[in-house]
Amino acid sequence: MSVTSESAQWSSTTAPGPWITEDWLAVWIGLGIFVLALAWLGGVDLLGWVVSTSVWIDPGLALATASKTYAQLGGVGALLVTYLALLAVLSVGAAALNLDLKRFAVAFTAVFALAYASWIIGSYAYVAVVTPADQQKFGIGWSLKLTNEGGYVVALLVGLIIANFFPRVAERLKEAIRPELYIKIAIVILGAFLAVTAAGRLTLASSLLLRGVAAIIEAYLIYWAVVYYVARKWFGFNREWAAPLASGISICGVSAAIAVGGAIRARPIVPVVVSSLVVIFAVVEVLILPFLAQTFLAQEPMVAGAWMGLAVKTDGAAVAGGSITEALILAKSAAEGIHYQPGWVLGVTATVKVFIDIFIGIWAFVLGYIWTNHINPTAERARFAEIWQRFPKFIIGFVLTFAIGLSLALAAPADISARLPAAIGEANTFRVIFFVLTFFSIGILSNFRRLWQEGVGKLAAVYLLSLFGFVIWVGLAISWLFFGGVHPPLAS
Amino acid sequence: MSQPDIGAELKKAGPAEPLLPVEKKLIGWSLGIGLALLVVLLIVNHYLPVSL
Repeated sequence: MSVTSESAQWSSTTAPGPWITEDWLAVWIGLGIFVLALAWLGGVDLLGWVVSTSVWIDPGLALATASKTYAQLGGVGALLVTYLALLAVLSVGAAALNLDLKRFAVAFTAVFALAYASWIIGSYAYVAVVTPADQQKFGIGWSLKLTNEGGYVVALLVGLIIANFFPRVAERLKEAIRPELYIKIAIVILGAFLAVTAAGRLTLASSLLLRGVAAIIEAYLIYWAVVYYVARKWFGFNREWAAPLASGISICGVSAAIAVGGAIRARPIVPVVVSSLVVIFAVVEVLILPFLAQTFLAQEPMVAGAWMGLAVKTDGAAVAGGSITEALILAKSAAEGIHYQPGWVLGVTATVKVFIDIFIGIWAFVLGYIWTNHINPTAERARFAEIWQRFPKFIIGFVLTFAIGLSLALAAPADISARLPAAIGEANTFRVIFFVLTFFSIGILSNFRRLWQEGVGKLAAVYLLSLFGFVIWVGLAISWLFFGGVHPPLAS
Repeated sequence: MSQPDIGAELKKAGPAEPLLPVEKKLIGWSLGIGLALLVVLLIVNHYLPVSL
């Protein structure tokens, strides 16, 4: 979310505005984790205590430290240390954002506990195991076959249940419900993970980057124009509502709705309302599309990855949806004897999403220029500086970790680059935790009762018609045209 | 969480506004440029296939 929505959310604070935005905070936290992980290249394991979860049938074996260096901590000890470390770091962030520290600490404790418990449940063998061989290994006769990334779906469902059946609990947790902060930290870390993945197949990675450009054209020039026309002409929305609505549905959900709302000088309420719809529909998409992709696109994993990036709105839902899709498709392929290298499907989703995000500021400026000069001429004209103001800064963190990770993988001495996957692997464990927190937070923000509120029906109808009648299918067609026949490398 | 009254907000929006020429141009040019660029990218995609 941009600063606009942040200030709307944090209206409870009376102190002067925060000196840092949530966007920049995500960059610094993500870079901090990345730098600490790199200490492993010098033989110093600073992050090996972070908790990781394996598929389990015996709860005592579910948790462990990411590295054997800290094995004496045990699984529960690792969980406790991870919680305390995240609480400390995020509390510093909360202080920088002028949040009520006590309320944040209490809320974050509950959010972490519920989200990570969901993740552990998602790794239960009856939920996660996919192949008959693994069923035999765990001594079970059936499973939901959700893979251990099914924990994301569990976290989302737990969040949804709280939001829709226990709204007072959701209200108490709101200080720590920050899906955009969590996903942006995760995306900064993801840059390094993708660099390590791409380093092994640089030609394939650069080919995929080129094809990411198609996503920009599709989102900004085709989706937007059609959705804006539908909202204005068929549903009779005025310009103030139609522009943020079209941006939310076609570009990148929350961020785009807020950036464009600000650029065309819409009242703050407009993008806030659109954002709440974006989140609800993103949840619906994440609960449906990865499973559709597993059923119909298992032979085309990269098409499925690109489709998630193009069809699912909001960064959090899209990138985490890509992660679920990758897990589901790789598991199905593994059951058929094809073992793809992990990271490529998620990499395509993240690339598509980041490429789209880069242009939010420019598109908002273009619309702002047209609105303030030709539609509603005003003294407060759109300025070039707004492009930078609305640029999603977490992309800088993503590019930095990707560039540094790739340089280290390709140019560092062999003994150092050989340690890179393990180092980034530890950072990646944090990325998974931030994904879980994102899913849980998105669930908490999705109160479906809003769909029954007076006036929402018409907004939801535009969304429903555009998303399920146009965006999803055009996204699939474009993904197929540009990524069809491309497969991730096989695992060695 | 406190929620805005969307129905009331939408009522404030007033009657439907006809599409202005500048909006029609925006929609038309966006679609035109978008489709043209997609064709260009498809050609690039054809001649520079993904390589492993």
